[in-house]
Amino acid sequence: MHAMLRWIRADLRASSARAIVVAAMAAGVVTALLLSAGLLQGATNPWQGLFTATKGAQIWLHLAPGTSVRSLRSQVGGIEAIAGPYSATAATVATGGQRTRVELRAMVPQLPAIGRPLVESGRWLATGSLTGVVLEDTFAQAIHAGVSSVLELDNVDETASVRVRVVGIAQTADQGFYPDQTPGLIWVLPGLLRQIEPNAGHTEEVVGLRIASPAATGLVVQQVVTQLGSSAVGSVSTWQQVKESMARRDPLLGLLLALFGLMALGAALLAIVNVTSGRVLLQTADLGMLKTLGFTPVQVMTMLCAEHALLAGCGIAAGLIAARLLMPLLLGGVPGVGAAAATVPAGWAAVIVCGTFAAVLLATAAPAWQAGRVRPVAAVRAILPRGHLSRLASIAMAARTPPALVLGARSAFVRRLPAALTIGGLALPMMMITIGLGFWSTLDDVQRHPADIGLAAQVTVSPGPLTAAETLRLIRGDPQVLKTYTCVQAEALVPGETITITTLGMGTSRQPYPFHVVQGHLYRAPEQAVATAALLSTLGLKVGQFVRMWFGGVPVTFRIVGRIIDPQYGGQVLAYGRDTLTDEGAATPIGFYSLILRPGVSPAAAVARLTRASQRRLSVAEVPDPADQLGIVRDAVAVLIAVLAVIGLTSLVTTSLLGYRDQLRDVSVLRAMGLTPVQVRAVLMTRTTVLALIAVVIGTIAGRLVTIDLISAVSRLYGLGSGIGSTPSAGTLTATVALAVGVAAVAGILPFRLPGRLPAVTVLGP
Amino acid sequence: MTGDGERLVLRAAGLTKGFAGDGVAVTAVRGADLALKHGEFVAITGPSGAGKSTLLHMLGGLERPTSGEIWLNGQRVDQLSQARWAVLRRRHIGFVFQFFNLVSNMTVADNVELAAIMGGASRKQAQARREELLGELGLAAKAHAAPARLSGGEQQRVALARAMANRPLLLLADEPTGNLDSGASRVVLGLLNRVHADGQSILLVTHDLRVASAADRVISLFDGMVVDDAPMTTSPHPTSLPDVLKLRG
Repeated sequence: MHAMLRWIRADLRASSARAIVVAAMAAGVVTALLLSAGLLQGATNPWQGLFTATKGAQIWLHLAPGTSVRSLRSQVGGIEAIAGPYSATAATVATGGQRTRVELRAMVPQLPAIGRPLVESGRWLATGSLTGVVLEDTFAQAIHAGVSSVLELDNVDETASVRVRVVGIAQTADQGFYPDQTPGLIWVLPGLLRQIEPNAGHTEEVVGLRIASPAATGLVVQQVVTQLGSSAVGSVSTWQQVKESMARRDPLLGLLLALFGLMALGAALLAIVNVTSGRVLLQTADLGMLKTLGFTPVQVMTMLCAEHALLAGCGIAAGLIAARLLMPLLLGGVPGVGAAAATVPAGWAAVIVCGTFAAVLLATAAPAWQAGRVRPVAAVRAILPRGHLSRLASIAMAARTPPALVLGARSAFVRRLPAALTIGGLALPMMMITIGLGFWSTLDDVQRHPADIGLAAQVTVSPGPLTAAETLRLIRGDPQVLKTYTCVQAEALVPGETITITTLGMGTSRQPYPFHVVQGHLYRAPEQAVATAALLSTLGLKVGQFVRMWFGGVPVTFRIVGRIIDPQYGGQVLAYGRDTLTDEGAATPIGFYSLILRPGVSPAAAVARLTRASQRRLSVAEVPDPADQLGIVRDAVAVLIAVLAVIGLTSLVTTSLLGYRDQLRDVSVLRAMGLTPVQVRAVLMTRTTVLALIAVVIGTIAGRLVTIDLISAVSRLYGLGSGIGSTPSAGTLTATVALAVGVAAVAGILPFRLPGRLPAVTVLGP
Repeated sequence: MTGDGERLVLRAAGLTKGFAGDGVAVTAVRGADLALKHGEFVAITGPSGAGKSTLLHMLGGLERPTSGEIWLNGQRVDQLSQARWAVLRRRHIGFVFQFFNLVSNMTVADNVELAAIMGGASRKQAQARREELLGELGLAAKAHAAPARLSGGEQQRVALARAMANRPLLLLADEPTGNLDSGASRVVLGLLNRVHADGQSILLVTHDLRVASAADRVISLFDGMVVDDAPMTTSPHPTSLPDVLKLRG
């Protein structure tokens, strides 16, 4: 044992660079996989992260006013803490001419210990400002409200109306995302609640229960209802319902990073197999000598595995730390994920850590077994590869091809397994780098031409307290605005599907909103509509088919004439001319105005100008740019490309060292045969360059082939449908390939720079 | 059991080793017999390709004989597994090679201590043994150098220190001076004589007759067969190779 440790220590000291690279590969893989797991978790199951961050309660009860919950903890087992009771009442908020039902919940300026809302922007309620309110994040997004927006709140009888100002936006795990879960939630001070709803009979008490065992939720609910009496319990919601309603978010980033992480893992494994089998070949003499000294085959194998296990362990620990540090930095700003949501469940982290560890060990096992089988006599007899000059090489030589090229190309394949490992270890990173560049160029396109993904309008305006005519006058008075489309947002019931969808009347049939149509055409007449791929799939429709919907009791039949790309509303968009609803007699309250700005005008400037011009009476907002949201992809892809490049380089350097060792004996012969020192170097350079060129070409072609399909698949998930993907430009690809091959050529002559560090040279003898 | 009344450290009977390479069978050693007493210094000599190194490798368990028996300190060992041979080597055998074969990623001190630890010494004992050996061989100052930084003679002295680190029953040396200049060769040979004087059993392979003349007994190998096995004597009438060597030396 001591002897094994002594050798491992000496080996790590002697080749610290190699050790660092192996550990760094494990660290990079773990970091990438943890980040992607965090994103996937945040995207697909944000509830867990929000629940932890807000110290949420698993059960929420709406109780009749005056119901006492003081004795609940003593009478029902398993309750750890109680949030509330908070007074709550139903109210309506006027947005864009529509009245939307909301729940007002009275809370004090001190945030509670259990079920504390997580303020995303602005601030929490404060004593000094009675009319300051805090909106739940997804509800605020749905009604296009932000901090300092002004809202009109009415009680249900419409007997009291108060104008309030949004002072903060907060996230909560108390209820699901709006509009999947309604009504929207607004937190207010108790004084404001009493002002809006003076009638105590119209209020409820909201109570949250944090319980010790989430599995016992059903039982606790039963006991609580029995204890309080069913007449006192208005409604009950459990964490399972909330989790379910939150669990449909865009997993784009997570999937992308997971793909990169897994490919990095694959490339890292190939590199580790290559490095380890390379060193078994490089250190054959040393390993043979160890066996001569009395190491058993199992000890040699154990020693190599233990060394790599140690390196993998260090790398994984570093990866865990890096992921922890990077998680808030990289993912904190991703909409719909947020730092709070992006937590990696312990189970996932354990699978990633154990999986990477096992994979590294597995990659080491085969070469280590080979090392165990090295014969002790190898200490005195160098084992050199055998090979012969192929017919192709002979012809090339006869045709006066420079001998350095022929000999270098031939030597690249003398050892077939390392050659295959090197090609694989380089082709995989290159493929992922090409895909990464494809995503990059797609993002560039999207940012340059947002209209291509259906975001023609850069700014939306909600009228607020102003009339439609006043609003239009203000908008048209602004010279920065090129075009204005009046839009309505209407809920429609689809018979047979028993679901309600949000539809958009955008412009008119004569002047339709310029959606990006990828199939069919835009609506040009009443009763024509266009829809996104995601909505068509939800309704089981195809372009050209008819669908009947009910708008507040009025049936309207649409013919779907085109498929569009629109990332908004979760990609579930059905759009038509506003005149269709008017013709059919359905009520059409003005929802908002979509503005297309003159070229070169920044949306932020337009928002500021319109807000100022309307004296803050208009609610003006920029259309969120999904490419901005995906800016994070650039950083993540850049980091991963760096990791992949290091992995590829490791494979190359291993090949290069192995080639140098194999050819050390040949070098003097080659010189004797008349090759100049430059030609001898060229032989070694050619060896790595040939392998790199093959790998890079395979990787680039494979990457290009899958990029468009991959981006389409990802954008379909994102609700965009296919048609936005673009491959990296020929120039970018050529530069990347040239860079990779150039680095390979330099790596080929690297051993000449490290003569003192080459092991196993003396064994070859004079 | 050895079936031998004498105290032999090593005995081989009918050792044969054949190789099959590229479809041509080659027999490197043919039915070699030899015996080595405790404290004896025996040299195996012969021309290039006579099978000297192969014989030595078989005796140290580096090659498995095709047939024949090997007895080490009264125990039959020729049929042991690789792992059992490894244990035997770490406890009872020390090796010195022509090209030194120091473990390149370990320092001089590590190379020597590793062998001591393998032989069962504690870390402290290994360190003490290393200091003692390197001190004796005049290499104390080079303890923390990398092997590649040492001259050939120095490397071979370190290899000797490593071979002696586990206080072996048997020291096997394969052309220990074959890669050294005459000065370094003399130093190494002097050291071998010194450890022999301390009672070390040594089996040395060489094609250099001057080196062979340092041994108590010389075994001559030709075409894989033992053709002569005689002690170095002071007889005025040379009848065997050792006598000739004595006269020439």
